[in-house]
Amino acid sequence: MDKSKIVFHSIALITLVVVFLFFWYLIENTHTEIGQQPTANSQQPTADSHLYLLLPISLLAILLGVACAFYLEERLPPTNWFRRLIESEVAIFTGIPSLLYGLLAVEIFVSYTLGSSGQGWGVLFYAEVLTFIVLVMPLTIRTTQAALRSVATPIRESAYALGASQWQVLSNQVVPLAFPGILAGCCRAMSRALAAAALLMGIHTWGYTHETAISAGIHSRYVLLLVAALLFSTFFSFLKENPT
Amino acid sequence: MAAKNYNIETENLNLWYGDFQALIDVNVKILAGEITSLIGPSGCGKSTLLRCFNRVNERYGNVTTKGKIQVLGKNIYDADVSLPELRKTVGMVFQRPNPLPISVYENILFGLRIHSPLRSLTRAESDAIVEEALTSVFLWDALKDKLKVRATSLQLEQQQKLCIARLLPLKPQIILMDEPCSALDAKGTLAVEELMSYLAGTYTFLIVTHNMAQARRVSSECIFMFLGELIEHRNTQALFETPHNSKTADYVQMRYA
Ligand SMILES: Nc1ncnc2c1ncn2[C@@H]1O[C@H](COP(=O)(O)OP(=O)(O)OP(=O)(O)O)[C@@H](O)[C@H]1O
Ligand SMILES: [Mg+2]
Repeated sequence: MDKSKIVFHSIALITLVVVFLFFWYLIENTHTEIGQQPTANSQQPTADSHLYLLLPISLLAILLGVACAFYLEERLPPTNWFRRLIESEVAIFTGIPSLLYGLLAVEIFVSYTLGSSGQGWGVLFYAEVLTFIVLVMPLTIRTTQAALRSVATPIRESAYALGASQWQVLSNQVVPLAFPGILAGCCRAMSRALAAAALLMGIHTWGYTHETAISAGIHSRYVLLLVAALLFSTFFSFLKENPT
Repeated sequence: MAAKNYNIETENLNLWYGDFQALIDVNVKILAGEITSLIGPSGCGKSTLLRCFNRVNERYGNVTTKGKIQVLGKNIYDADVSLPELRKTVGMVFQRPNPLPISVYENILFGLRIHSPLRSLTRAESDAIVEEALTSVFLWDALKDKLKVRATSLQLEQQQKLCIARLLPLKPQIILMDEPCSALDAKGTLAVEELMSYLAGTYTFLIVTHNMAQARRVSSECIFMFLGELIEHRNTQALFETPHNSKTADYVQMRYA
């Protein structure tokens, strides 16, 4: 038992290191151009719109996370190697403070803004997307699994003993009962993504003069994102305190 | 003597959780329409045996079952046996009352709803079914104005009776009970026992209990198990008064002292 635990944790750790090295490589490779000053902002609106793409992507990642949690928790036995592997990964990735993700995202973003000469986003954009996915997905998986697990076994047992199929147990009992918890988890993840996006947006204003920033509505969008993040996390604590 | 009618028969039933053997060569025949009690020290496999008969053990994942189990003359491991049908015929009541966290009314109908196509019941039909089921467990008068109340907010005794009532619309033949009274007070225990005696005949009951007095009061047949083996299965009175096996004698006496 304990041996396999160690194996799974080490695999998870190795993945983490590989991901870290990947980002480090990207950053190192773009830092050579850091000496340049942001001059014109002709390309930046493009960057700006890409930034907004990160939010729908986070939303998709959250939905995928929920689906993944359902699969792990409801379809695979706790001893399944795949389930244990993913759970170890999730434990490690949710253990990283979101500040570090934020810094990572900013680092990549700044590297791009300072270094780019406007030939598109390329690999850095994917790195940014990956950061956001890694930011929200493990959290969603973890909270959804916890919500599913919180539906007491006696409820499942009694439905099964009456002859319900797994689908019926899930759709009639488990999902309605776990729903607030699942939603709370999604909100928490979304709030994380929004906060990170706001951070990027804040950084982004560096490239603008005060006047252009105001006319481009950067400040207001920045505030909007922050407020949204705040709202989501408030909603999250509300759901947590009022399980129905 | 007239040929006896058995509802459950096992042949060399063996069961393992991983590599721990919880049931060893169990051969048992459960009389139709009677109340049979299952007694024995903690961990001897009473619950395990009970859970074999509606195949809920399988949910634990690491379970291996060998041997034959016949319920109503049909091998329940045959390929053509449908689990929902089996569990409809063989109802189960648990140690802790576990009504679903929905209304009393919906609890009673839950079984029917999962076994029949959507909306096949009219309002009048469902009302009649709920009334009949609650009346059979002596709950109708107490609950007829509380049908919309969440079942989990009832008193424990009522919850447990409700758990029996919700089996009835499915027209089960066998009702398995795993220490159904251990969460109830003395009054609730007596009420459930009365209910069982009243329903016996229509249904075959198999009840696990740690309460010897209860086994004597309520059951006509009694099975003593020890470390996964079936030691003795006889008429309740005979088993308690003139146990054949010394282990049975020890257990029964210790429990009584
Ligand atoms: N899901 C399981 N996985 C592994 N071992 C189990 C499982 N369920 C029961 N066992 C083991 O099987 C043996 C029989 O358990 P069982 O629950 O049938 O005993 P019991 O006679 O009902 O005991 P009690 O009177 O305490 O309810 C016990 O040793 C128990 O530890
Ligand atoms: Mg037990």
